[in-house]
Amino acid sequence: MISLGHFVALSTVLFCIGLFGVLTQRNAIRFLISIELILNAANINLVAFNRYLAPASAEGQVVSLFVIGVAAAASVVGLILIISIYRQRQSVFLDDFNLLKW
Amino acid sequence: MTEFVFYTIAVGLCAFALLSVTVGDVFHSAVWLTFTLLSVAGVYFLLGAPFIGVIQVLVYVGGIMTLFIFAIKLTANIGDARIRQFTRQLWPGAVLAAVLLAFLLAVIRANAWSARALPPVQGPDLKEIGTELLTRYLLPFEFISLLLLAALVGAIVIGKVKK
Repeated sequence: MISLGHFVALSTVLFCIGLFGVLTQRNAIRFLISIELILNAANINLVAFNRYLAPASAEGQVVSLFVIGVAAAASVVGLILIISIYRQRQSVFLDDFNLLKW
Repeated sequence: MTEFVFYTIAVGLCAFALLSVTVGDVFHSAVWLTFTLLSVAGVYFLLGAPFIGVIQVLVYVGGIMTLFIFAIKLTANIGDARIRQFTRQLWPGAVLAAVLLAFLLAVIRANAWSARALPPVQGPDLKEIGTELLTRYLLPFEFISLLLLAALVGAIVIGKVKK
């Protein structure tokens, strides 16, 4: 029997892998990939709680649609910023982006 | 049967996610991310939310992954496997993530709601999602379209090559 805890545990594992990525990646594109993992973990939680605790309503699924929309907008802007920085500094590595560091 | 499908998807999901943040080549990382996102879509189907699963495949795998691959290819000669991909906080970051994971799993185990079984009623269908989206959540829905428009225009303005 698959209980609610199974799905929440799965999304916790996914979140922690994403957190590990955010903390350790040097490449800005892989940093964004890790953020996508974290957003997906949140989405699994939303849909799972919707299904198990309030199956009659559709609120969790609606909110997860919003999360997908915001994630799309975020990755579009993030990737275009990375490409723009790459054009100026010929690098996508976060430790090379030290223009504002004194 | 459901258990088997769940554990297959769960193991695949964790393996793909781990691979996508640890492999050397950024392009391979994007391919593993695609598999991760497809597994997440599988989780949605398992949870009785086929609409979200379809949207996941359409938006993430069809749209966002294409963008990622474009970005990787446009920043070429950086995806070389020999370049160091991790910051110096590799081991502290791994330990922190593992400790947080253990703590959160312990919290989930200790809570009563985590043993909750699947309710016998069906989940919401597409009609309910559509009604909610265009009645109660109409304002956020419109704001999302505004946000996407702003992201579109912003991406064009930032990405334009200045002459």
